[in-house]
Amino acid sequence: MDDPALESARAAKARALALFSELGDVVGIGLTKIGDRYGLKINFSSPPRDPSALPREVDGVPVKVEVVGTIRKRSAG
Amino acid sequence: MKLDSARELKTQLLSAAVRTLEAPAAIRAMGVRAQSSDVVNDPLRTVALGIGRSGQQHVLAVRLQRRALVNHPVLDDIRKKAKGEVDIRYVGRVLKLETPSKLQKRRRPLVIGCSIGHFSITAGTLGCFVKDRKSKATLILSNNHVLANENNAKKGDAILQPGSFDKGKRPKDVAANLQTFVKLKARAVNFVDCATAAPVAGIAFDARTLGSFGKLAGVGSAVTEDGTVVHKVGRTTGETSGRVTAFELDNVIVGYDIGNLRFDNQVEIEGAGLKSFSDGGDSGSLIVDEALNAVALLFAGGDEGGTNGMGLTYANPIHAVLDALRVDLLT
Repeated sequence: MDDPALESARAAKARALALFSELGDVVGIGLTKIGDRYGLKINFSSPPRDPSALPREVDGVPVKVEVVGTIRKRSAG
Repeated sequence: MKLDSARELKTQLLSAAVRTLEAPAAIRAMGVRAQSSDVVNDPLRTVALGIGRSGQQHVLAVRLQRRALVNHPVLDDIRKKAKGEVDIRYVGRVLKLETPSKLQKRRRPLVIGCSIGHFSITAGTLGCFVKDRKSKATLILSNNHVLANENNAKKGDAILQPGSFDKGKRPKDVAANLQTFVKLKARAVNFVDCATAAPVAGIAFDARTLGSFGKLAGVGSAVTEDGTVVHKVGRTTGETSGRVTAFELDNVIVGYDIGNLRFDNQVEIEGAGLKSFSDGGDSGSLIVDEALNAVALLFAGGDEGGTNGMGLTYANPIHAVLDALRVDLLT
């Protein structure tokens, strides 16, 4: 059995994806450490429309947001 | 210690220390190899001496290249002569650095990290060598978009080393033939971007060396957690190190020639220092942890994000790749 905090973060992923997809172009939602806690990392391809509307937690799990730009396959040229 | 004093001490110690440290190694090497002593004339890995800094002062830098030397009495002598102003570290075997310019050339034997690609793509990276679980055949591992041109290829197609972007040509640079690939899906979730190729008969390869990082040890744990330090050798950026910034990453939307594809359960990595962990052409690179256990297969990246602002890299967990292709890592 994994750490309960890790399980909580996993369980919050689906709801967080639905919530944050309303606020911008989500190109990744995963698990990360925020301080010493497991949290959610939400990646946007461009800055969200209203940063002040972004939730800081989902189901009690802390959230970290990052703008990562466009993701491309890494072949040459 | 003043710089001139450090230089003088280094010169004074170098020949004497190396001679003392070499003695037991030479005796042991001859004992094991049972060959004439003139064969054992190569320089033995013992100690490197240099000058380092400690605050405003210079110190004698001692770098040990064999673990057995860590408690050698000659180090006490060095400490005494340097009046304690010494920085002693075990650095192990110092291997040749794999630079992008070398990795983009024709390499025989084939090496992990070199340029490779299906004849109709630009170039990617040879990730590593694997063994088919059923046939036991040795195969090359890289991405679908490197070896199978995003599903637009058939078994037996020529794989060039170096890739065509690096002037690889048919037939002289054909190093392998496409074996199999996991199809990339435009209307469903993807978990891996991977393919294998069968090396041409008789071609030499080095399945273990990861540039100057050392020898590939095996396969790492199933979950690669946030904060894990990782390394890779790739065609474009060569040897780089980084850190896992997120794992079990879903809904990663990646641009391909066939459209934007979704990947779930991915690993995200940022480069160490001021460098990006990867760039275009590094696709297919094997990513390893600090113990040199394989943890992921690099396939995508972007130019924004990361603590250093140099972009983020995305990779498939290696267990998912090996299971999808029904292969095991060759070490």
